[in-house]
Amino acid sequence: MSPEISNQSLLFLVVFVLVPLTLSYYYQLGLSKGIIWSSIRGTIQLFAIGYLLTYLFDLPAYIGIPFMLTIMITVASFHARKKGEGLPSVLGIIFIGLIVIEVSVLGLWLLFDMIEFTPNEVIPMSGMVIGNSMIAMGLALERLKSEFKENEGRLTAALSLGAEPKQASQIIIQRTLGASLIPNVDKLKTIGLVQLPGMMTGLILGGVSPIMAIKYQLVISLSIFSSVSLSAIYITLMMYKYFYNNRMQLKHMEFDQ
Amino acid sequence: MEHDKLFTFDHVKKSPLHSLNFSIKRGENVMLFGPSGAGKSTLLHLFNRLSDPEKGSIYYLGKDLQSYSITELRKQVGLVMQAPNLFPGTVLDNLKYGPSLDGDWNDARAEALLEDVQLPADYIDRSVDQLSGGEQQRVSLARTLANKPSVLLLDEPTSALDQHTTEEIEQVLEGLAVEQGVTLIMVTHHLDQAKRLGSRGIFLSEGEIVEEGNLADLLSNPKTEELQAFMT
Repeated sequence: MSPEISNQSLLFLVVFVLVPLTLSYYYQLGLSKGIIWSSIRGTIQLFAIGYLLTYLFDLPAYIGIPFMLTIMITVASFHARKKGEGLPSVLGIIFIGLIVIEVSVLGLWLLFDMIEFTPNEVIPMSGMVIGNSMIAMGLALERLKSEFKENEGRLTAALSLGAEPKQASQIIIQRTLGASLIPNVDKLKTIGLVQLPGMMTGLILGGVSPIMAIKYQLVISLSIFSSVSLSAIYITLMMYKYFYNNRMQLKHMEFDQ
Repeated sequence: MEHDKLFTFDHVKKSPLHSLNFSIKRGENVMLFGPSGAGKSTLLHLFNRLSDPEKGSIYYLGKDLQSYSITELRKQVGLVMQAPNLFPGTVLDNLKYGPSLDGDWNDARAEALLEDVQLPADYIDRSVDQLSGGEQQRVSLARTLANKPSVLLLDEPTSALDQHTTEEIEQVLEGLAVEQGVTLIMVTHHLDQAKRLGSRGIFLSEGEIVEEGNLADLLSNPKTEELQAFMT
């Protein structure tokens, strides 16, 4: 397979957009506008990122990497924050968490000589870690809010029995963390069997040997697993206390579900 | 402030409650009743600081409620809610929850607690999911009693139960009040239940105390139209 896809070939991708478009029209789903808009937007975004990356890869590493990582973490923070609507300081807490996780993971990669400090290695790998951490934080926030809402009676019972907020929230913290981690454990179990992970597929298409591609995939999969776990634990432990006031009473906040 | 007064409410305001002034003496069993939205549950949560007044002060044994350690106060002034709200796990897990927070639990206590609420001893290891509604409510009561409270706040604890189970729970409560000297402060919709368990009545409507006093007198001779209407 050629790693090159010509622009003419790309044009034929329209066919892949026409399928859902036709279905939407035929079954009157009212999604046509959304399908066209998201396809165009996605294409433009990807090309823009392609050109930006080409530019960044040419810059010295100490400029290009911090610049792109800052953009990634900022965008990811604003995105994950939506799931924590109504919770105070959530943007700052997510932002700091993503920085700490990214810097730690990157530090380990460099320390153990898994990748080199060059934009073309650090940026795509970090993007995967930041993106997955962002999703994990968003899911944990969403779950935390719904758990607090559903378990108000139990929490009131625990507080009335003399529990401090941390003790009262124990069940909710466990359930939130479980819900955030279980999908990742399952994903790791079936890795390579159900579908070849994206990064590995990309490397193989690019001409790298499958064994080498697997090594990279292992680095990224385990790094993601670890950062997703850390993200969920971090955001849960940082945010549960905002559901209480300093008099150990439940705040009755109105959260968007 | 005299110490025979267990609680004193001094111009307490907490929406929807207006300015409340009243005292509760040690050993009085107080029944709070009134139409929905009167503020009965809000009032109940003020006793153990699950919420605090917006204005005014509450005194417990002559001292400002806020001067007590909040976790200690909540253990002394226990709450049983309308729904059992049991924690996932076994009956034992629930019974030991409160005392274990201070590492003050011995499994041998479980049997006596179950006996207090008239449940067989072999229920200890049962999962709470396997219990009927009435059994769950009894475990909820036993869980609160495990903290050895001197005051028991009860928020319509029998409203979801059948007549038979209600009577059993009432017997348990009566026993606690008579034999263990626990003061009951209970929200109830049922005047018959209030008569069986209470010595004093507080009738609330739209956030205000409309009438209060000796329960038998209150119910045999209602002075206000609101209470008369509520009783019919």
